[in-house]
Parts: sequence; C-alpha cells; structure tokens
Amino acid sequence: MSHVSSSAFGRSSQIILNVYLVIFFAYMFLPLILMVVAGFNDFDTPSVTTWKGFTWKWFGVLAQDTRMWTGLINSIMIAVGVILVSMPLGLAGAFMITRFQSRFNGLLYGVMVSPLLTPGIILGISTLIFWREGGVSGGLFTAAVAQATYISSYTMLMFMARLKRQDVTLEEAALDLGASHTQVFRRITMPFLKPTILTASVIAFLQSFENYNTTIFSIGGSHTLVTEIGSRMRFGLTPAVNVIGIIFVVLTVTFATIYVIFREREKKRAAAVAG
Amino acid sequence: MNSLRRSFGPILSLVIVVLVGVWVIGMIVGPQLIMVEQSLWNKEIGGDAAMNSTRIDRLYNEVDTLGFDISDAEALAESPKRTEKIATITAEIDAKKSTIKELEAVEIKPEKIYSFKNYTLMGASHFFIFVKTIGAAVAVTIIAFIVCYPIAFTVAKVATPGKAALIMLFLIIPYSINELLRVFAWLMILDNNGVANLLLGFMGFDPISFLGSGAGVFIAMIYAYILFMVFPIYNTVETLDSSQIEAARDMGAPTWQIHRKIVIPHAKPGIAVGCIMTFMLSAGSFAVPNIMTRGIAEPWFTQLIYNKFFESSNWNVGSAYAFTLVIACIVFIFMMMRFFGVGIKDIAK
Repeated sequence: MSHVSSSAFGRSSQIILNVYLVIFFAYMFLPLILMVVAGFNDFDTPSVTTWKGFTWKWFGVLAQDTRMWTGLINSIMIAVGVILVSMPLGLAGAFMITRFQSRFNGLLYGVMVSPLLTPGIILGISTLIFWREGGVSGGLFTAAVAQATYISSYTMLMFMARLKRQDVTLEEAALDLGASHTQVFRRITMPFLKPTILTASVIAFLQSFENYNTTIFSIGGSHTLVTEIGSRMRFGLTPAVNVIGIIFVVLTVTFATIYVIFREREKKRAAAVAG
Repeated sequence: MNSLRRSFGPILSLVIVVLVGVWVIGMIVGPQLIMVEQSLWNKEIGGDAAMNSTRIDRLYNEVDTLGFDISDAEALAESPKRTEKIATITAEIDAKKSTIKELEAVEIKPEKIYSFKNYTLMGASHFFIFVKTIGAAVAVTIIAFIVCYPIAFTVAKVATPGKAALIMLFLIIPYSINELLRVFAWLMILDNNGVANLLLGFMGFDPISFLGSGAGVFIAMIYAYILFMVFPIYNTVETLDSSQIEAARDMGAPTWQIHRKIVIPHAKPGIAVGCIMTFMLSAGSFAVPNIMTRGIAEPWFTQLIYNKFFESSNWNVGSAYAFTLVIACIVFIFMMMRFFGVGIKDIAK
C-alpha cells in the first residue's frame, strides 16, 4: 500500500483536508459548469446572469459556422502532419540517447528536451522567422513544423521510457543467428514499440489539436479551430463558443474517465503480479 | 557511433543520425539562432537616406565643376605645371566618382547594421510591462505551489486507492480541457455583467471592472496554469517510502517537520519541474492576456511581442523582445535548479 495509514493522521486534520479538497474542486469545476450552462441560454451573449430560457439553438448556429468547420479541417491536417513528423524524430532521438554512448549525450539530451521548457510563442516565432529566410511564409506548414518541434520531445520521452524496459539481448541473439539489421528492426524492435507508437500518436494529436500559443504565432493568415475560438473570444462573442466548450467538456470527461479506469486496472494487475 | 551501428547497421544508423540532425539543427537550434541574429541588426534607411541623396547631388555638381576646371587647364600652354594640374583634377574626379558609387549602393540597398539597439529601444513603459509580466508569473508560481502541494500529497500518500483515483480523475478533467475554454469560463465570471459582479451587487458593493484593471488576466492565469504544479509533485511524492513518514510520526515529529524534513526534500525535483512549467506557461502565455484584456487593459509582454511582429511588422525589435523573454525563462530555470539543488537530468524526466 502506498498510502500512509489513516490512523497516522488525526481526525481533525482529515476533516480540514477534506474541506480543502471540496473547496479546491469547487474552484476547479464551477467556472466550467457556468460555461456549459450558458451554452443553453437563449440569450445573444454568453451569460448565466441574464437567463432567457433553455435552448438548443446554439448547436445549430455552430453547425452552420463555415469558418469553424474549415478550422477543424485545418486542425486535423496539422495534427496528422505533426504525428508524421514527431514519430520518426522522437524515435530517432530516443534511439540516439539510449543506444549511442558518447560524452555529448547529456548535451544532446538537454537540447532535445529544451523545447518543452521554452514558451510556446517563442517556438512559433522562431519557426516563422527561420522559414521566411527560406522563402516560406506562415501557414499550416509552419504551424505544423513549430508544433512538431516540441511534440517530438514528448514522443521521445515516451519512446525512451519504453526502450529502457527492452531486453537488448533479444536483438543481439537475432543478429548472431544471422538476421539482418533491417529484419531485426522490423521483426523485433518495432513490434516491441508498437503500443507506444499508438499512445504517442494519440498524445501528439491531442497536443497539436489543443495548441494555441505556438500556432497563433506561426500560422500566418490561416486558422485552426482553436485559433478561431480564440479570435471569437476577443471579437464577436456568441454562445456558439460555449457549445464548443460543451463538446470539449463532454469529450474530455469521457476520455479522462476511460483513462483513469484503464490506469487503475493496470495498477491492480501490476500489484497482483508483484504480490 | 559504433554502439549505434552495432544495434542498427549502417543504413538505419545513418537515418537516425540524419533525423536527429534535422530536428536538433533544423528545428531547435537553427530557428533560435536565426531569431537571435534577427534581433541584432537593423536596416538603416530612414533619416540617412535623405542626407545621402543630397550628398550625392552635391558630389555630382562638384564633378561637373571639376570638368570645367580640366578644360580650363587644357587650354593652357604645354608645361609640366599643366600636366600636374590635369592629373590632380582627374584624381579628384575619380575619388568623387567612387564616393558617389558607394553612396548610391547604400541608397539602393539599405545596409544591415549590427548592434544591440533593438534591445535598448525598449522604453520605460515596455520595460515596466516586462517586469509586471515576470512578476505576475512568479506570483502565479508561488500561489500554485501553496495550493497544489497539499493536493499532490493527499493523492500520493493520504487518500485510499479508490479515493485517490477519484481525485485524480477530478484533476485530469480540468487539466485536459482546452486552455482557451478555461480562460473563457473566467471571462464570463469577471465580465462587467458577470457572476462576480452580480454577487458583489447582492452584497451591496459597487461593480468592479476586473477586466479593465488587468486583475482578470492574473486571476485567469492562476486558474489556467495551477494544475501544472500538481502532477510533477505527485509523481515524486508517490515514490517516497511511506514508512519514512510513519517512522517520523511514531517518533513524535509534528506534521510541518515531516513535510519540511522528509517529504519536501524528496519531492525537490518534482517541485522544481512544477515551478519551471508554471512560470514558463504564465510568462509566455498569449492566450490568457489576449482574451482577458479585451483591448481595454494594458497589454502584457507577450502581446507586445505579437504586436511587433504582426501589427507594426518590426521583426527585428520583435525578435529582441522575444529573446528577452527566453533569457528570463533561462534565468528562472537556472535559479530553480540552484535553489532546489537538482540537475537538468532530474528536471527533464
């Protein structure tokens, strides 16, 4: 058991802790609930203070918003591009760090994780400037490249975690028995990494889809769903934005619940194996 | 290189090295260097150009006058003095012509002049905004730590497994909801006709313009980035052996001593990561100020950068501002590493 036995804590401190948790989660969830409720209000600006009755009409308004739809398509195209770039780069980085022993390893590793510690707007700006030097102006391409810069760091860390658990002797045995390097890579290394490729793709897709700060600085005249939401929040606010919020909340709650159930099951299985 | 070759053979090794090279040089280091380079020069055309063209005009006149002098000299009788005079005038004409050429080249193609001018251009008002942005980010970081440490400790060590899973779910949901939407929820609360002012009205207070004063940005920033502190701390506290806590308690250590002497020292790498992430996200946030100032409150530093690039199109000054932000983040990272006594390997886990 990882938790400290509850007898170690006094009853009063338990109560204080519980009250604290309730306040904290009220703080976390009440704003989101307000946003959801305002999406059903039959009033022209997002509000819960002026209640004009329940309506579904903002769903219809959103469905007819063509800029939102093109934004969605652009977001998906960028996200697919990011997956295609960040999988090979992250994998190559992970191989380099785990298999390539050199004194430059530490420095290389530092450089490859540095995008995670850099503000998103800086990644966007520097990519925009870099590609303009080569005659490419801001658009979906530069946005995808800018995002892939740091998303590759995420995928690299995920691949590294997986590779650390790999039994290298299996590869060596196959090589000794006369398999070619390509065969070993295709038959042993890749199948071992397959589950990570899947989860890393999902993470990369979500990171790309949700991104605002990097994208807004590198996308030029185009827009994604999220940058469009951002400009709507500044100009021309309608409850259709709340409807997007409702959709995001429903999707997030669903996936987060699935994730936590899955994680708990894994934990129990690990505990059962260990114990 | 041999270790890589042994695992993958020459072809795959080459592919790996090329891919890493493209990423490191073409996507991380290259763009940063170009940005810094861009911040260090200016194209000088403005005031000098007008002065140049008058100088060029004057030089052309002088060349013409010298032309007359030459024909005057040629009219003189043949003598060593005449030859000498013509030679000096011709040399003078040539010198002037080459100056004209130089000046004309400058006039057509404005010169890149390297200097730190873009950095010193930041006036007092913009510097104040920079300080305000960094100060707010530090404040958000401190508040996030105070609020999140008890939560992370509870999930990792106090709650029963079932309850911990539930709290985890409640943390992951707001954490995964898009940043913009979380900010938007607070826009609705803090708006002039929003929930906060409605409540203030019930209590008999005058409405407050949260958005106009810039307080809205700070409040929404805390909400938007607070959860980035929870998970890194949770990850490190979870690895602490609970028997250490129980032993300390059995020996009569008070709660605050247990945290000060056992839990916090163990959680240092996680706290450092949480602080760095929270600070970096707050200082570099464009989403929160862009939505919460609504053009009525004073801009934040990231908005100044945006305006330099996309409104006044001064990419050189924009790059200087952007690099200033990078430097602030680097300084913060090193301060955290020193303060918590952790290395870069501990941080990037």
